[in-house]
Amino acid sequence: MSHFEVFGLPRRLAVDTAELRRKFYALSRRWHPDFHQAAPAGAQARALEESARLNAAYRALRDPIARVDYLVRLEEGRETREGADQKPKAPPELLAEMFEIQEALEEAKAGGLDDAGRRGLGADRDRLLARLHAEEARLTGPLSAAWDASAAAARPQALAALKQALATRAYLRTVIDDLNEALGEQADGHVTHRRH
Amino acid sequence: MAYSDKVVDHYNNPRNVGSFGKDTPGVGTGLVGAPECGDVMKLQIKVNLETGVIEDAKFKTFGCGSAIASSSLATEWLKGKSVDEAAKIKNTDIVNELKLPPVKIHCSVLAEDAIKAALADYKTKQAPVGAGATTK
Repeated sequence: MSHFEVFGLPRRLAVDTAELRRKFYALSRRWHPDFHQAAPAGAQARALEESARLNAAYRALRDPIARVDYLVRLEEGRETREGADQKPKAPPELLAEMFEIQEALEEAKAGGLDDAGRRGLGADRDRLLARLHAEEARLTGPLSAAWDASAAAARPQALAALKQALATRAYLRTVIDDLNEALGEQADGHVTHRRH
Repeated sequence: MAYSDKVVDHYNNPRNVGSFGKDTPGVGTGLVGAPECGDVMKLQIKVNLETGVIEDAKFKTFGCGSAIASSSLATEWLKGKSVDEAAKIKNTDIVNELKLPPVKIHCSVLAEDAIKAALADYKTKQAPVGAGATTK
């Protein structure tokens, strides 16, 4: 059962989050293990399982970016082998740009950061942060709408666009985190995304 | 995460870090990345145009220890190989040599992709001018 099916939703990215929350609360009440304490062991186990499934589904669907990420993985599992093997790829010019920024950052760190260097890196960080927000808006806005609107034949293309935007976002987040770290600043609100 | 001794060794003493001018004759450049972790890897080969043997290889990787070790090892292996032999290097060879754990296998895949991209770039540059345009 997919996370969409848990809530009786079609596999679409446009989700009414207020409605989703209402369904989540209603189903939570139904399956919460506390309400099944007096039930036979089998029913208790079922309640626990349903409750865990529900929580996982809600976590994956309530946030529009997590939703795209989930949809992409779901679609790839369902598609044929060739499709599933396709890794998300960032545009080559983005890779080149990320490489250059990392190189500049490395040099700046090796030479010790003076005020001018610090301002330069800070400006890079702010510029990339603006791009990150723009990319996220594109992902949850027009690209998500394009997926929902596309007919079967156009779906691989819409999916590829979603994947590429997710990849771009991942790169931007990494380099922003690295810049923040070099500047000795906390990440800007988003969950810090660390390398292993 | 416990790294194997070989990973630690390549991480602390990476071999062949640096770059060639990408327009230098005989140089092939591969720039690849792993969006899941934001890693970027540049790997370059320098082929002797008379013999077709890879004379030198360089890399620069921004990423985790395993990604650095995988690309460092790849440059060591590339040197002295012909272009055709180099194409046979598999990510599984890197996994075995560095004893990478399953969660780090994608780092070796990235290194294999980088080798392939560098070889493809080299071959494109060797193609006679105008070839490829004739198929249209």
